Amino acid sequence: MTIYSLYIYDRHCACVYYQDWHRTKQPKRAGEGGILNAVSQAVSPLTPDGAAPTPSAFTSPRNTLSSTTGLVVAIGEDPPVQDPVEHARSSTLPFDEEAKLVYGVILSLRNMVKKLSGRDEQFTSYRTSTYRLHLYETVSGYKFVMLSDAATEGLRFVLRQIYNGPFLDFVVRNPLVPMDSQVQGIDNDYFRASIDRLIRGLSVFN
Amino acid sequence: MTIFSLWVINKAGGLVYQRNFADGLAQLTSNEYLVLAGTLHGIHAITSRLSPTGSSSGAQVIEGETFKITILLTATGTKFVLLTSLAEATAEVVLQRVYEAYSDAVMKNPFHTPEMPIRSEGFDARITSLIGAGQP
Repeated sequence: MTIYSLYIYDRHCACVYYQDWHRTKQPKRAGEGGILNAVSQAVSPLTPDGAAPTPSAFTSPRNTLSSTTGLVVAIGEDPPVQDPVEHARSSTLPFDEEAKLVYGVILSLRNMVKKLSGRDEQFTSYRTSTYRLHLYETVSGYKFVMLSDAATEGLRFVLRQIYNGPFLDFVVRNPLVPMDSQVQGIDNDYFRASIDRLIRGLSVFN
Repeated sequence: MTIFSLWVINKAGGLVYQRNFADGLAQLTSNEYLVLAGTLHGIHAITSRLSPTGSSSGAQVIEGETFKITILLTATGTKFVLLTSLAEATAEVVLQRVYEAYSDAVMKNPFHTPEMPIRSEGFDARITSLIGAGQP
């Protein structure tokens, strides 16, 4: 049992955050302009000179917490371009297209479940032979999507925890994050580290 | 433990059989069922491409808060779809039985045109004995 990845979408259908853990099929980097800034350094387009994208600016410039102080920061592990990982990405979708497909699927299934039930019923999850997708939608239209192993039970409570904990603490209460801006994602070091800690602490992780 | 509805979707995404067995879900027009079946067909294809690890089948079970959709994809591309309550544990088994009934009562029927809507009393009778009479 394991957790593969987490996507967060805002109410404008844009992917504003992405993080993954035990994925073996890594997505290719998004094309230029394919996704917002500050979604995830691991999948953002490379800058024109070929360098990895710069870290998100939403962490205070007066950041006195560096990784040497013990804060675990789960980013900055971008492999160089000729890395075998990058090579293995060639057979998979670029991240921007993948993100759109995920959004399309959850939106269609959400509408389908609403239509079939005739009530305001939420779509919660679907399962294939190798993975399971869970959806939690907030009242404000943010959609938390998690991909896990096919054998896991419902994980909506975890998505709720992410919303109630890290998301409120490091995104909503962070004045440096412009929410609902349609140009910027919500990635920042504290948010990422906090989610990482929460997910790694789950019994279904590993 | 309720079975709401059974659909058969042909390999092109067309709804060739649809029958309701219990109340609990919205009553839709046949046109709306056709659209939903087409949507399901498309989603099913996309879900197999989204696998984070290895190759994957399409969606097998889709869950809402009070009901679930169980999908059986056969080797020929025909999909059998069962809408049941969340607690229904026998959905996969029922779908296998439906597939058997389909093979016997539909595919062996020389008057049936493949990929076209199923109008067969024999199939209807087999489904009735399998799942129940429900609504006509």
